[in-house]
Amino acid sequence: MGIVDYGMGNHSSVIQSLRNIGFRTRLSDEKSVLDSTDVLILPGVGAFPSAMQALHQRGLVEYLREQAKRMRPIVGICLGMQLLATASHEYQYTTGLDLIPGEVKPLVHVKWHIGWNTIECVRQDSLFRESDGESFYFNHSFSYQGPSEYHVCVSRHPEPFASVIRRNHVVGIQFHPEKSQTAGRALLQNLVEGLVDA
Amino acid sequence: MLKKRLVGIVTVKNGWAVQSFGYRRYLPLGKPECLVENLDRWGVDEILVQVIDRSAFCLGPDFSLMGRLGTLGLETPLLYAGGIRSVSDGVKLAQLGADRVIVDALLREDLTSVKGLSERLGAQAIIASLPLAVQDDGLKCFDYRSQTSIPIPDGTLEIMQSGVVSEVLITDWQHEGMPGGFEQKLVEDFPLPDVPVIAFGGISEPEQIRLLLQSPSVVAVGVGNFLSYREHAVQNYKDALTDMPLRHATYETAFSLRSND
Repeated sequence: MGIVDYGMGNHSSVIQSLRNIGFRTRLSDEKSVLDSTDVLILPGVGAFPSAMQALHQRGLVEYLREQAKRMRPIVGICLGMQLLATASHEYQYTTGLDLIPGEVKPLVHVKWHIGWNTIECVRQDSLFRESDGESFYFNHSFSYQGPSEYHVCVSRHPEPFASVIRRNHVVGIQFHPEKSQTAGRALLQNLVEGLVDA
Repeated sequence: MLKKRLVGIVTVKNGWAVQSFGYRRYLPLGKPECLVENLDRWGVDEILVQVIDRSAFCLGPDFSLMGRLGTLGLETPLLYAGGIRSVSDGVKLAQLGADRVIVDALLREDLTSVKGLSERLGAQAIIASLPLAVQDDGLKCFDYRSQTSIPIPDGTLEIMQSGVVSEVLITDWQHEGMPGGFEQKLVEDFPLPDVPVIAFGGISEPEQIRLLLQSPSVVAVGVGNFLSYREHAVQNYKDALTDMPLRHATYETAFSLRSND
């Protein structure tokens, strides 16, 4: 697993979680190191504009776009999921990686979504079938809004929003599987194994 | 549906996890890492590590402890409180593994830094700490540094109201460690009913937790000492509260039924 290091957030939890499942991990912002891995993981905690700035500064925006074109599996977690979108309205309008069409906007009717909530699969996807109805830990105030063809799972608070999105080998997860105990571990294992085997 | 949360709280003083009684008397429990690992294994919804001797002595956050906790491979969201002095302190804690951080003294001394931290990590990652007590003339906030009780400062209320922080941790500091001691009035009389509350301090009984969780503003209940008295206390509380909007208790086995494991 190649953990993309762009200086935002908590990498250690993601690394430890993947290692606990049995995957080997590399944390780096160097393309040569990331090239040697099977799946790219884009974690992230913080604000969208500074995250995109950090990716640009490290030359990772073009790199990630190239890897997506080559059908390399990429998984964005929390802020990392939002970075996959076309743009975000957090603080200001900021363009994203544009790997999955759609925009990141404030949650509707609520300021935040903090805590454990269930996900509901709205599309047949073997990577997430076992996780349908399970509870995961969320901690965010913005969410992805885009074409329904990219929605794999939704959650409700109270309005439905996309909690898992997917476009081919690019997957975004709004919640924190690495902090979601048994359910998160199972999801990560199914997701990574499924993407690598696909 | 979004669930309410049972938060396991580990109090740390002089590097040791302690049982605290009203923040006046302490009994050592052991290494914080051991208690945190237990809570993680028992399936608590969030873990809060509060280091109570950092702000009082201007020591800054306990980065060493946070670093050790960050490498444990915890699968439970980790909250940190104690000694945060600046934006960079909060950011460093997040990089070491804190999913959310709690500000206390900073709320009274440097609101600009609280706002800056919120802009860096997002308001959802910031919690305000208010040690409160009910007094004859209303709710009073306890200042650990000056050891005095004061009305909740207007600036603190404004920053909570404006959404710079996402939740407030209301601690009944006088009854902390006392079974069944939490004063419900702290929640009922709190002047900002729309601000989500984590209630903590002297919460030991399932009925008490039920009463608190029935309050619309209470999104989480913190339990400290009482989780350390027996094994699987988290599951026991949750099994007694299945009628509440809490995530159900989880039980794990190391024996896998997957054929390829």
